[in-house]
Amino acid sequence: MHESSVVGQWVSAPGAEDIVTGKARYCPDIQLPGMLTGKLLYSPHVRARIKNLDVSKAKDIPGVYAVITHADIPGENSYLYAYPDQPLLAVDEVRFQGDAVAAVAAVDEKTADAALEAIAVDYEVLSGIFDPLEAMKPGADQVVAGQSNVMMQMTYTSGDVEAALASADVIVENTYRTQWAEHAFLETEGGVARVDDEGVVTVWSSCQAPHRDRMQIARSLGLAESMVRVITPYIGGAFGGKDEAHVQIHAALLAYAARRPVRLIRGRRESMLTHVKRHPMIVHCTTAASKDGRLLAVRARVIADAGPYSNATHEVLNKFGEFIGGPYKVPNLEVEKIAVRTNNPITGAFRGFGAPQAAFVYESQMDDLARKLGMDPLEIRLLNGVETGTQLFTGVVVREGRAMKASLRKAAEMIAWEKRDQCERSPAGHLRRGWGMATILKGAGLGRGLADHAGVLLEMHRDGSLVINSAAADMGQGIITLMAQLAAERLGLDLSCVRIDRADTAKAPDAGASCASRQAMVSGNAVLIAADEIRDTLLSLAARKIKVSKDRLDLRNGRLLVDGEIHDLTVQNLAERASVWGYPLHAQSRYHLEYPDDAPEVAYRFSSEFFQFCTQIAQVLVDCETGQVKVEKLVAVHDAGKIINPGGVYGQIEGGVAQGIGYALSEELVVVEGHTLNASLENYVIPMALDFPELDIHVLEMPELAGGPLGAKGVAEGPIIPTAPAIRNAILDAIGKPLYQLPMNAERVLAALNP
Amino acid sequence: MNSPQYIAVESLGEALKIKQEQGAHARVIAGATDLILRMRDRVFSPKLLVDLRQVSLDTISCHAGEMRLGAYVTLSQILADDEITVLFPALVEACRQFAGPPIRNLATLGGNIVNASPAADLVPPLMAYDANIVLASSAGERVLALAEFFTGPGQTVMQADEILTQIRLPLMPPDSASWFIKLGQRRSMAISIINLSIRLTLGAKGAVSDARIVLGAAAPTPLRAVAAEALLIGKELSDQQVDQAAVEASRETSPITDVRASRNYRERMTQVLVRRALLASWDDLGRSGRNE
Amino acid sequence: MSEMDIHLTVNGNPHKVQAEPAKTLLCVLREDVGLTGTKDGCSSGDCGACVVLLDGRVVNSCMVLAPQADGARITTVEGLAVNGQLHPLQRAFAETWAFQCGFCTQGMLISCYALLLSNENPSREEILIAIAGNFCRCTAYQNVVKAVQQAAAEIRERGNREGIPHA
Repeated sequence: MHESSVVGQWVSAPGAEDIVTGKARYCPDIQLPGMLTGKLLYSPHVRARIKNLDVSKAKDIPGVYAVITHADIPGENSYLYAYPDQPLLAVDEVRFQGDAVAAVAAVDEKTADAALEAIAVDYEVLSGIFDPLEAMKPGADQVVAGQSNVMMQMTYTSGDVEAALASADVIVENTYRTQWAEHAFLETEGGVARVDDEGVVTVWSSCQAPHRDRMQIARSLGLAESMVRVITPYIGGAFGGKDEAHVQIHAALLAYAARRPVRLIRGRRESMLTHVKRHPMIVHCTTAASKDGRLLAVRARVIADAGPYSNATHEVLNKFGEFIGGPYKVPNLEVEKIAVRTNNPITGAFRGFGAPQAAFVYESQMDDLARKLGMDPLEIRLLNGVETGTQLFTGVVVREGRAMKASLRKAAEMIAWEKRDQCERSPAGHLRRGWGMATILKGAGLGRGLADHAGVLLEMHRDGSLVINSAAADMGQGIITLMAQLAAERLGLDLSCVRIDRADTAKAPDAGASCASRQAMVSGNAVLIAADEIRDTLLSLAARKIKVSKDRLDLRNGRLLVDGEIHDLTVQNLAERASVWGYPLHAQSRYHLEYPDDAPEVAYRFSSEFFQFCTQIAQVLVDCETGQVKVEKLVAVHDAGKIINPGGVYGQIEGGVAQGIGYALSEELVVVEGHTLNASLENYVIPMALDFPELDIHVLEMPELAGGPLGAKGVAEGPIIPTAPAIRNAILDAIGKPLYQLPMNAERVLAALNP
Repeated sequence: MNSPQYIAVESLGEALKIKQEQGAHARVIAGATDLILRMRDRVFSPKLLVDLRQVSLDTISCHAGEMRLGAYVTLSQILADDEITVLFPALVEACRQFAGPPIRNLATLGGNIVNASPAADLVPPLMAYDANIVLASSAGERVLALAEFFTGPGQTVMQADEILTQIRLPLMPPDSASWFIKLGQRRSMAISIINLSIRLTLGAKGAVSDARIVLGAAAPTPLRAVAAEALLIGKELSDQQVDQAAVEASRETSPITDVRASRNYRERMTQVLVRRALLASWDDLGRSGRNE
Repeated sequence: MSEMDIHLTVNGNPHKVQAEPAKTLLCVLREDVGLTGTKDGCSSGDCGACVVLLDGRVVNSCMVLAPQADGARITTVEGLAVNGQLHPLQRAFAETWAFQCGFCTQGMLISCYALLLSNENPSREEILIAIAGNFCRCTAYQNVVKAVQQAAAEIRERGNREGIPHA
């Protein structure tokens, strides 16, 4: 295949010029005639019975167009990600700080605020349930009356763990704790809704799953889905936090009630108090090995604090369990997954989806094991790492596994792992330097047995320009760029000839959510299929016209190539000819992530079969007097299968590492009895530019031909996963003390030093 | 928030007259980086905002052995001032580590004082330099040691009719060194877990003739660790003296536990950082005979 | 609660708006001047998405009250391109993927633009200090550094800084 002029090249994103000039419209920038401001009223209590709710005074305020409570919802009063157990507006009880009780729409923010103040709610405050270990005990007060606080309890077993433990030479057994973590997408959640004269509800939604939004909005409005249209404007980040619906449903309900357009944007504090967080988990893990360092068994029991509602808890815990074995050959494994309801913040999807917590556990265990065995951390990982053909404990066979060890070796080379002891280990009396690694695997795609498909619509015009209609949400990760590149590549077009709009359910078929590192694979492949259909028409016409067999023809840089030589005919000529002759140049395609027929039966529910591999090595400097950890340097080696959009790939890796550093060292929602005490960007401490280490990224290209387009794999989640354990292991190397709790902030490091 | 009225006065006298008439209902607005948040949270609900930006309170001048800084001097102005950089390095370092550039262009020296945050970054160095402040009212001016200004978190001795107009910094005696350390959770945009500033002055015989140890976020107000200072004054510096003073300073604190750190951590860090600051200043003073 | 007349020169164009004194410059720019390029990420001075130039200095426009800006010259992201020609920084940001979602970009560009006004060849550290108040969650700090240095080189090569508007 020839060197591509678009695929694999640094190209500007479609829309980049709109972003750098300030023209790009995000939800808060949308202005419609007569538009109202929507706002939600939240409970000041984390658990209370609503004895009385009186909105009459609010309705009387001039300029207030709608005040709605649960009683005013025409359809279903619930979110629906998987289970419909979280109300949009509380009915008789509030169960966490983010439960809304009423929504208002008014001419401006001030009037909306006045309306919220005029709503009288009589609460009977109830004592909440905040400790998952207490909540799961039999007889505990129920967070949701009539339902067990144990939302989920499942055990998966592969092999004979008991026997393996009995025969092991070395065992490490530890309890890990992780924190609530916040996405902190820079654009808070928002929705703008309008009802037109025909009754069609159009919602501009800052979301990851426009078609799922459409379904949820329709079912709450009691309308057919055909009467609802969801458009994603520019989206200011999401990271899983906009996978589940937020205020777009409320905006639609308000617009429907007020019969005027409504814009509802969460403030930063409101955002932090209301949307799902990364699950805090308590994980007890036992890892056993033979004296030569071979893994014999892993046993893990995770207890996750889910908050009061399901959200994506079942799915996140399922993925936690799927990845708890790491990228290793683990002959015997048992994982028990427990999720518990509390009156704490709700929890759900966040980049990595359970895998970051799992990796913190299994990669910490690997270093503890290596220390106990006197082995080098690199050596024990290479010894146990999966390869192409390895059958994982889930039953899945790794089809392309070279990147596991290749990424380890490359990262070690980049940081000069073998020569690290030539570096100054203690540059001053109170400073200690150390190096630590972590390597992970993470599935790309939803998993076997789940509908994992995307559709797309392409149309070429008679001038050779192309429009791609896709409903894949681009939150900044670059899926739009990737789709444009693939289409341009196949049709021999310059990228400037490809127009791709933001996701719109009225223009494009369902592409599913932008989650699970899946869009590059599913929407990418869908674009290739549709583009190939148009390409085939063009080439057939060309073949007929110049009387050359089709297989000698190609399209490139806007020209027809015959046996690789430029021909007079252009893509535009061919498009024009197709139009005149009446050949269609539009194509709709759908790609379903196919799991290979010859793969063995998979034992673990919803297992992924396409994997991202990633290794990171951190070099840290620990101040032993203050406990502060500085990440001096970090190398990240990631397998992208094939790089299509380098800007997106490198960006996703850098972003994952940055979020991983925050997760490792400083990010933590401080929640006391259900109340979050640091719901601001001032007090929820995310590293900024000056805190960023020297970062060296290397991207491996080991095509996964069964999966993504041209062998590409999703890379969105992998990069955040190894960072925290790599830093943990570097701290261990520096100070000789292991940490078992995230974040490893200065106080915790100091406590480890001075127990 | 309910919007107050706003006036940009043309003279200090006009502002003082307003304050005399309206007291706490009229609030002086300077950088507003804190005021806006407090108005939104309804901590303050002033009826009138009095802006003195046309009154030239943003000047820096050197007067008979002291530096005078107007209350409206921004942190960026301080950072850009060559004389201050040489004469009051701890103050400059505090400004350098303060928030980020866009906030430093707005936030003022006066605002950081009047806010009376226990964690205010600029106050420890100012107190270490024995800053005086000028409080004006329609009755006249009074000059007061900054150390006597604070009474609690957000609380000061400033009367409702007074306006902070100027900060006066006496030049350090020769053979003095000063230092600032901030312990934050990140390198920019951080509220201090602990901040501190120290000043040491050596007398003719090489002994410490004067010392200041001022701690932020360690007590309800910025705190001078006088007992620790006393352990140093009149003595020749030694590692043992430094260690003792650091321990003593820590004993003088009464910090709180909050989302940033525990009380215990703040106490421990006070000791660690006071020691570091003292050693660094000692180095600046040309420490001799000490082996690191 | 009376509104005041506020006079602003935004990107070279005079504007007169009526605003309550407690309204922030950010809201005035977005709602009254109609320039939504400047973003609201936190309303509390913590994120830098609302950074604009006020009389040549970078400020968080959410931390400035409208009357405090009365009479000021403001430069927003919309003012960086001249006659449809992108500023070298804007081009470099787009080419190097110095953003992903783009929500921080407007403020980030203004901070970097201000840096280039006073420093024609900034180092990595100087750039990081200049953007120390600009939060980017997708994280493209490395590419911001690359973009600023690329733009600086281009501007130097041209040897012509008159091309920069409202300096």
